[in-house]
Amino acid sequence: MNDFLNALTPDNLGYLMQGLWITVAVSVLSIVVSFILGSVIGIVMFEKIPYFSSLVGTLNNIVRNLPLLLIIFFTYFALPQIGIRLPVFWSTVVAMSFFEAAMLSEIIRGGLDSIDKGQFEGARSTGMSNRQTMMYIILPQAYKKMIPPLISQLISLVKDTSLASGIVLADLTFRGQVVYAQNSHYIVPILVFMTFCYFIANYLLSLLAKRLDRRLA
Amino acid sequence: MSMIEFKDVEKYYGDFHALKDINLKIDAGETVVLIGPSGSGKSTLIRTVNGLEEIQEGQLIVDGFDLHDPKTDMNKIRKNVGMVFQHFNLYNNKTVIENIMLAPRLVLKRDEAENKRIAMELLERVGLADKANNMPSALSGGQKQRVAIARSLAMKPKCLLFDEPTSALDPEMIGDVLKVMREIAEDSDMTMLVVTHEMGFAKAVADRVIFMADGQILEDSSTEQFFKDPSNERAKKFLSQVANH
Repeated sequence: MNDFLNALTPDNLGYLMQGLWITVAVSVLSIVVSFILGSVIGIVMFEKIPYFSSLVGTLNNIVRNLPLLLIIFFTYFALPQIGIRLPVFWSTVVAMSFFEAAMLSEIIRGGLDSIDKGQFEGARSTGMSNRQTMMYIILPQAYKKMIPPLISQLISLVKDTSLASGIVLADLTFRGQVVYAQNSHYIVPILVFMTFCYFIANYLLSLLAKRLDRRLA
Repeated sequence: MSMIEFKDVEKYYGDFHALKDINLKIDAGETVVLIGPSGSGKSTLIRTVNGLEEIQEGQLIVDGFDLHDPKTDMNKIRKNVGMVFQHFNLYNNKTVIENIMLAPRLVLKRDEAENKRIAMELLERVGLADKANNMPSALSGGQKQRVAIARSLAMKPKCLLFDEPTSALDPEMIGDVLKVMREIAEDSDMTMLVVTHEMGFAKAVADRVIFMADGQILEDSSTEQFFKDPSNERAKKFLSQVANH
């Protein structure tokens, strides 16, 4: 118990909470960007535009099969070599968004595929355009079906931000390591505290999912 | 004036020749019933009329538009040519009244109050005004189909296509749907093309009957003549088979 009190001093707590804030900021930005980008890619793959859709599908598959840490290293260490220099925070957001968009797009394509073809035909036969059909009929039904897999993917995203401690992003994981590096007695308290933070963040996300699910049902 | 005109139309699914040399003219205001054994191409034919299936050769003129011309805006045709499906295809994420109001709002930009008034009128006409705020999943098959008919009527189309509208229904539900269809047929302005196995309905409301088999039109006669004395042998056989039920 003493170790807990010694480890979690107001100073250390403040330091860790700033890390949590960075974790949350990276997560929220990446969720928004990857959701939009993933929807676009998912729709392109679903629409089966000749050549273009299969090209996008292939590139998407390549990205999905790479380790996220490799993509993070790539944006932070390789991009500067071709003149694109991003701060560590934005490197992480770019890498996460890119990778997660690839993951989400497969979920979105699958959700779209699961909608009965009759729903399109019903809408198109009343003179609605393809865009209107997607917006008002198909996507709302597809997103509803996709909520469970989407949320587990987004929970993975929040957890995977910890990988960015590998490029010294001062997130919760990185700051935790900094704190327990001072004193090995702090290892357990800090890890417990980090567990608690990640759990709360993701638990809130799953609560949000449940509410969305009920609202759309 | 012809509403629908097929000229030497050919349709293929890969190697399969689904429609063979179709020539057919349907005048505005006519009610035409399309019958034939399953796999004969009836559904394929009716689905080409609003562009749900593309044709590969020939000319298909609907409401003055050439469907085979890539420059033709299909949505313009669909605005005036409604379709009722075997499996209803109501929007699962919308209430009954929203199902009816959506396309007039988006496509015709109909005023909201007017839109609602027309939708309620149509629901009354098909006997489902009390279901306006239900979701489609709460309706029986026959009720869904009547909503689907109301949905196509809301666009005030010139022409309605029915693709086996009663084939997925329980027998006791069929009567209500046919009654609604009969009332539409009696409205002389509406062109109706109906794929069905309901011979009683065909006899009662059709001006003409078209018999198809193997992707070809084998007979195209007035209703009276078709049921009394069809000229085609396969049509005769088909009629005796369905009459035996």
